[in-house]
Amino acid sequence: MAEPMLRRFAFPIALGALLALGGLVAVILLRPGAAPSQAELAHQIAADLRCPDCQGLSVADSSSASATEIRRQIDAQLSAGRSADQVKQSFVDRYGEWILLSPAAPIAWLLPVGVLLAAIVMLALWIGRAGRPERPGAVPAVSEMDRARAREEAEALDA
Amino acid sequence: MRALRWLLVPIVVVPVVLLLLHGFSRDPAAIPSALIGKPMPSFSLVTLDGRTVSTAELRGKPVVLNFWASWCPSCVDEHAALLDASQRYGTSVQIVGVLYQDTPDGARTFEARYGEPRWPTLLDPNGSLAIDFGVSGPPESYVIDANGIVRYKQFGPLTQQVIADQVGRVLSAATAGRGD
Repeated sequence: MAEPMLRRFAFPIALGALLALGGLVAVILLRPGAAPSQAELAHQIAADLRCPDCQGLSVADSSSASATEIRRQIDAQLSAGRSADQVKQSFVDRYGEWILLSPAAPIAWLLPVGVLLAAIVMLALWIGRAGRPERPGAVPAVSEMDRARAREEAEALDA
Repeated sequence: MRALRWLLVPIVVVPVVLLLLHGFSRDPAAIPSALIGKPMPSFSLVTLDGRTVSTAELRGKPVVLNFWASWCPSCVDEHAALLDASQRYGTSVQIVGVLYQDTPDGARTFEARYGEPRWPTLLDPNGSLAIDFGVSGPPESYVIDANGIVRYKQFGPLTQQVIADQVGRVLSAATAGRGD
């Protein structure tokens, strides 16, 4: 009893979950925040940059000589009136996209989300189809020849 | 319809396998340079023996800019390859070392032990030149043409073969340019 109910509601639940996920992402991306101080901004930028001579650490988390110099350059650039994007770009110009801990290319974000959405849709379709009763026409018809053979076998058993 | 459904398997699997093959076939530590085809960052730094070298002085001849350190094991073999190149190319190519996160004393000890170079070694005490070139660790080298354009990045030690190939390419491009 519970299984057909689950199957009937699978698609709306999946769709609802999807919309909720989309809403959550939109809220996170669009929420207004207080303007950060220069020190906070510098820390945010440093946290987004990969420490060049460390293993998996951000510039903010490392005490290496390179990270220290990059933090000094971030402060200097912010003090000179450059925006956070301009500061980040100045490091991308030298190291390439590699220096960013979060990939800037939209494909890197969109691909996994696209695959996840496709998987949810396919799962919902599969559950929906599995729950649907089979059409009468879908049952293979018994041919006249089969009927005759069955009759013969039954008569042979009776005899 | 059933055959079409089975066709989905290679359609999904083949790109994933190709992506993995591509990913595993390259050194994850090797970073492609963002400077290739661009002018080298300008600098003016003091050398190990107290001279000042600036980008303006390096124009006119190809440059091999080598970031190294005395604590870097693979810099030893690379040093031999650079000594060989310095002898082979003479004054037609400028080799310039840049000391990466190291002390002048460490560099002098290294050079006394593995061969005194004929080229200058720049001191980059706060590492700003290394950052300008996008260096992630020694040894790393850049081949720059006579016009100051970065043409090649070597991640890891230079070998005689790499120097011959890359410096040869820049030299022959310059010769072809003059011939036009």
